[in-house]
Amino acid sequence: MTAMTLAGVGTDPRRRLKVLASQEALLAIAVIGLAIAVGLNNPRFLAARNLSDVLLGNAYIAVAAVGMSMVIVSGNIDISVGALIGVLATISGTLAVNGAPIVVAWLAALVAGVVVMAFQGVIIAYLRIPAIVVTLGMLSILKGGLISVTGGKWITDLPDSFHLADIELFGLLPFPVFLMILVTILAALWMRYSASGRAIYAVGGNAEAARLCGISQPRTIVMVFALHGLFAGAAALLYATQLRVIQSTVPPNLELTIITASVVGGVSILGGVGTVVGSTFAAVLIAEIASALVFIDVSPYWIRAVQGVLILVTVIADILRRRRMAGA
Amino acid sequence: MKLGLAAAFLGATLLAGTASAADKRWDGADDLPVNPLACSAGEANAAPAAKLYDGGKPTNAPDKAGKPITLVDVPKLIGIGYFNATSKGMQDAAKALGNVTVKTDGPTEAKIDEQIKFIDNYITSGVDGILFAANDPVAIAPVLKKALSKGIHVVGYDANSTPDAREWFVNQAEFNGIAKAMIDSMAKEAGEDKGFAIVTSTFTTPNQARWIAEMWAYAQKCHPKLKWLETVEAQEDNNLSFNQATTLINKHGDKLAGLFGMTSVATPASAEAVTKAKLCGKIAVVGLATPNAMKPYVNADCVKSVVLWNPVDLGYAATYVMRAVVDGSLKPGATSVEAGKLGKLNVVNGSEILLGSPFVFTKQNIKDFDF
Repeated sequence: MTAMTLAGVGTDPRRRLKVLASQEALLAIAVIGLAIAVGLNNPRFLAARNLSDVLLGNAYIAVAAVGMSMVIVSGNIDISVGALIGVLATISGTLAVNGAPIVVAWLAALVAGVVVMAFQGVIIAYLRIPAIVVTLGMLSILKGGLISVTGGKWITDLPDSFHLADIELFGLLPFPVFLMILVTILAALWMRYSASGRAIYAVGGNAEAARLCGISQPRTIVMVFALHGLFAGAAALLYATQLRVIQSTVPPNLELTIITASVVGGVSILGGVGTVVGSTFAAVLIAEIASALVFIDVSPYWIRAVQGVLILVTVIADILRRRRMAGA
Repeated sequence: MKLGLAAAFLGATLLAGTASAADKRWDGADDLPVNPLACSAGEANAAPAAKLYDGGKPTNAPDKAGKPITLVDVPKLIGIGYFNATSKGMQDAAKALGNVTVKTDGPTEAKIDEQIKFIDNYITSGVDGILFAANDPVAIAPVLKKALSKGIHVVGYDANSTPDAREWFVNQAEFNGIAKAMIDSMAKEAGEDKGFAIVTSTFTTPNQARWIAEMWAYAQKCHPKLKWLETVEAQEDNNLSFNQATTLINKHGDKLAGLFGMTSVATPASAEAVTKAKLCGKIAVVGLATPNAMKPYVNADCVKSVVLWNPVDLGYAATYVMRAVVDGSLKPGATSVEAGKLGKLNVVNGSEILLGSPFVFTKQNIKDFDF
């Protein structure tokens, strides 16, 4: 309870809960409303196959956005995640083609993700260097390092058993979609009901008050980054195993898409507010918009503009909400 | 939030436009003049306006006509399948010619400064000729000119320099040649009167825009019933290409009988999308790609034609061109050159040798390539 009241945004937790719920509800309505609108234009959009493909092809963004949301809630940001996903995919794929047991290839991505992100967390938390600077540096290191080490050579001939994303649970639920839902629910429950999960809100909402309450800010930040690395590893596995080829380059703009999902999902860029349920809904919405643009014959160039509009609208709404609360 | 969405969509829909007149080029094509090839191989192609030789000339090159020569090949980088293949072609040619020694050496990364150092070292140590594939057409020019000034012959392949920095350039494929191979393959595999869509990088990427324009021109001329449905952009992004191809399949349903992949990223991703949709054999995938990325789909009979050029032939041709230059049988103003088993190759664009029709990888030959 301590953490809740310290979260910094208003002192009435019920009110905050209501506001957050409405953000998620809005996104859910947008997801459904858009599906119906496009479906009226072209009923094929609503085919089960298409809806499942939209989720399947973008689940990795939602999974990465779960970690990103935690990072942003803690008052930080990470712009190295796209490059890291590219690196982790390459590490995992390289192990798999060189005959390492598949489980080892999968675990390596998760472990390396945790190590790299925890390392960044330590620098940010203990050396007190702003996250944007640290992660910008890491972005360059990972991006340059990947091209230097691989020479841009693609990984092909991946063993069939490597393809985690091809698994269908009970013969119908694609593994990436299952993982997206599972990760979102577990992370949401943990952030809401556990002391360590709530500490993230406390640190991001009001660091000084959190410290006075005995919450270790540095330790919380390192924990958040380590977890974020775990989710980045999981996202990298989905990303790497969807196709038969791993490009050995950094996916363009991936970090922006992930950050967009978090922010549009209602995670306040100022820290202290937001849920992973929101970011997952937002990731689904963004993916749905990308598909919808093709269905209604609009150039996919517009996806960037639409994402921009979504970010601005959400951020402005967030600021207005904070002002209103500060005034109330 | 909902308002924002609605506004964005309204704006986007209004701006998207509706024009699709028959003579309008497909989305993603450029506006440059097109020069479609003849529909069948037998017909003569309209000869493009002749262009004067614009290559360079070595200063006081020693006369080694018919005598043994030593060449060095400096590709963009060494150790990758593609340049291993060009290197193999050079060794094949050297063996066939009998009076050529060629060695491949170069940077392990595609870096222009490294490449310049390698070339500079070989100028110092002394060779009769340099074969190169440039990492940068402009930055490589000074060192190549230096080689020419020392009497060393210079021939490029795969990636050109500015024309005056080398004598000849072996061009692996012209835009209209690739376009013909792509459209002919699609018409054969999908059907003459079927609908297809294109997955490209962006509408403004120069090479892709050129290919699409030539494909449009060739289809108008030779396969007018093929029906273009739309072009989507996927940058050079694997997963975006896959998602876009999947969306096209879901959107058009039975109307879609073929997908063109315009990049080596889009083609395997499109093949994966067709495979995942369990539509192999129903939707033909034709595209530019490298063999290794396409082997799973070609071996599974999901993709029949992968269009590219044969890098072994490219290296082979470059070596024959160099021999002909040294022997004096290929001079400025020539219209063709003999290239051993490849036969007579034509001179185009002043100082370029055209390798010939693009190479189509199929289930029968794809296993012989590793790049």
